[in-house]
Amino acid sequence: MLSKRARLWLGLLVTVALLSIASSCSKTETPDGDKDGGKDAGKAYTSKGDEGTVTGKVSYTGTPPEAKKIDTSADAACTSKSPNLTTEEWAVKDGKVANTFVYIKEGTLTDGSKIGDWTFETPKTAATLDQNGCHYKPHVLGVVAKQDITITNSDPTTHNIHFTPKNNPDWNQSQANGAGPLTHKLNTAEVLVPVKCNQHPWMKAYVGVLRHPLFAVSAEDGSFTIKGVPPGKYTVVAWHEGGANGTEKTTEVTVPAKGAATADFTFGSTAELRGRPSSMPVVSAIEVPMMVKH
Amino acid sequence: MSKGVHRFAVLVACATFFLIIAGANVTSHDAGLATSDWPLSNGQFFPRMVGNLFWEHGHRLVATGVGMLTIALAICLQVSERRTWVKRLGWLALLGVIAQGLLGGLTVKMNLPLAVSAAHATLAQLFFLTTVSLAVFTSRNWTIAETTVSEDGEGVSIRALCVVALTVILGQLVLGATLRHSATWDQELPTGLLLAHIGGALIVTLVVGVTVLTVLMRHRGEKYLGRPALFAVALLIGQLLLGLAAYITRATSPEDPQPLNPMISVTVAHVAGGALVFATMIILTLRVFRVLRLDRREYVLAPA
Repeated sequence: MLSKRARLWLGLLVTVALLSIASSCSKTETPDGDKDGGKDAGKAYTSKGDEGTVTGKVSYTGTPPEAKKIDTSADAACTSKSPNLTTEEWAVKDGKVANTFVYIKEGTLTDGSKIGDWTFETPKTAATLDQNGCHYKPHVLGVVAKQDITITNSDPTTHNIHFTPKNNPDWNQSQANGAGPLTHKLNTAEVLVPVKCNQHPWMKAYVGVLRHPLFAVSAEDGSFTIKGVPPGKYTVVAWHEGGANGTEKTTEVTVPAKGAATADFTFGSTAELRGRPSSMPVVSAIEVPMMVKH
Repeated sequence: MSKGVHRFAVLVACATFFLIIAGANVTSHDAGLATSDWPLSNGQFFPRMVGNLFWEHGHRLVATGVGMLTIALAICLQVSERRTWVKRLGWLALLGVIAQGLLGGLTVKMNLPLAVSAAHATLAQLFFLTTVSLAVFTSRNWTIAETTVSEDGEGVSIRALCVVALTVILGQLVLGATLRHSATWDQELPTGLLLAHIGGALIVTLVVGVTVLTVLMRHRGEKYLGRPALFAVALLIGQLLLGLAAYITRATSPEDPQPLNPMISVTVAHVAGGALVFATMIILTLRVFRVLRLDRREYVLAPA
C-alpha cells in the first residue's frame, strides 16, 4: 500500500491538522461590565452645592489617519444628501480631537465614600441620536443607565438602527423616512455600546452608558467639561474608538470643593499620558494630597 | 424515466446553488438585519431595494422562488416517479426548504445568534445536497446503470472513503459557517475558529485526495466514476486557493469604511466553492454505491 515515508508524511499532516483544530478550544473572555447587572445600589446622591468640574483638552500628536471616502451609491438618497461622506474615526482639527468619551471611572469622595457607593438620578430629558445625511449625529453620545434615548430619522430613506452591546440586550429596529421617533434604554453600564445601521453599513456611533452623569464628549476643539463632580480624588478615563474595543487613556485628578481639576489627554503615535492636578482651588480649606502621573 | 423531470430536478439544483450565492452575499455585505421584520421586509413584499435591503430582501425573493420550484418538483415526482423512495426524497427536500425558511426567519427575529445563523448556513448546504441527489436519481445514467464495476475487497473500501469524505466536508462546512457568522466584516475573525477551519481544510484535502486517488487508481477506465472524481479534486484545489484569498481579504476588512470588493466577491466565491465540492462528492458517492460490486473470493480448503 503506502511506503514508510508516505505513512510518516501522512501522520505528520494529520497531526498538524488535529493540533489546529484542538487550538480552537479556547476560553472566551467575558467582557468587563457592571458586575451587579446595573442594579441600583447605595444611597441616592443629592447635591451639596460644593461640586466642582473636570475640564481638559484631548489632543493628537503626529499625523492622524486620513478619513476614508465612503461609497454611498447603494442608496441614492444618501448620495444626494451627503455626496462626500467620509469616515469619522479620527476627527482631528489643528491637533485637537473630537468625539472622545471622557468619564469618571472610579474614585473616593472627601467623606471617604466611593463614587460607586452612590446612586444618581436618571435624567428625565432624553438623549437624542439622529440619522441625518446617512450618518449618526452625534457620533459619540453619553447617557445615564435607564435614560431614554430618542432616535430620529431625518433622511429620505429607511434606516435600521442596531445597538450591539455586550452587557445589554441586542436591539434592532427599522425606521422609515417620516416615521416617528423611536425610544430605547440601556439599563446596564457599558463603555461603549457600538451602534450601526444594517441598511447602510458605514454608519457607526457609540453610546457610553454610566450609572452616574459624570461624563462628557470632547468637542471639535478637543475641549470637554464634566460638571457636578463631588469633591474628591478620581480616575478619569478618555475613550476613543479604534481597534477591537477602542483606546483608553487614564489619569488621576483631585477635584476640590467648588473647584476645577484639569485632565488633558493625548492620543497618537507618540502620545504621552498627561494629567495635571487641580490648579484653581476656589475653596482651599481642605487640603487633598496631589497625585500626578507622568 | 422522464427527461423532463430530470431536467426540472437539475433546474432546482441550479436555482438552489444560486440561492446559496445570494445568501452568502447577505453575510458578506452584513445585510442580515437590514430589515428587522420577517417574512415581509419593512412591512412590504416589495420594498424599495436600496442599500443592504437589496441583498437581504433579494435573498428572500430567490428563496421564495426556490421554495416554489421545490413544491413543483415534489409534486412532479409524486405524479411521475415509480420509485417510492425518490418520491419521499422529494417531499423531504420540501420539508428541508420550509425548515430553512423558518430558520432564516428565526435568525432575523433573534438578531442573528451564532448558533441559529450557522445552522441556517449548514442546512442550506444540506438542502443543496438533496436537490443534487434528486438530479442524480432522476438521471438516465442512474436508471440504466448496473453494478458493473468490480472491487476485489482488498485494501480500503471506496464506499467507506466516500462516506468519510462527505462527513469531513460537512464538518468543514459547519466550521466555515460558524467562522463566518462569529464576526462581522469590521471585526477580526476569532483565532481559534480560524485555525480549526484551516485544520479542517487539511483534513478534507487529505481525505478527498486519498479517495480520488483510490478511485482513479483502481478504476481508471470508468468515466462514470472518474469524471466526478477529477472534478472534485479540481474544485478542491480551487477552493483551497479561494480560502487563502478569503483569509487575506477578510484580514484587512476591519480597516475598510464598509464591506468592499474584493473581500465580498472572494468570500462569496469561497462559500460557493465549498458547496460545489460537497455536491461533486455526493455525485461520486452515489455513483460509487450504484455501480461498485464487491467480488467475494471463496476460499476452498485443500484436502488434508
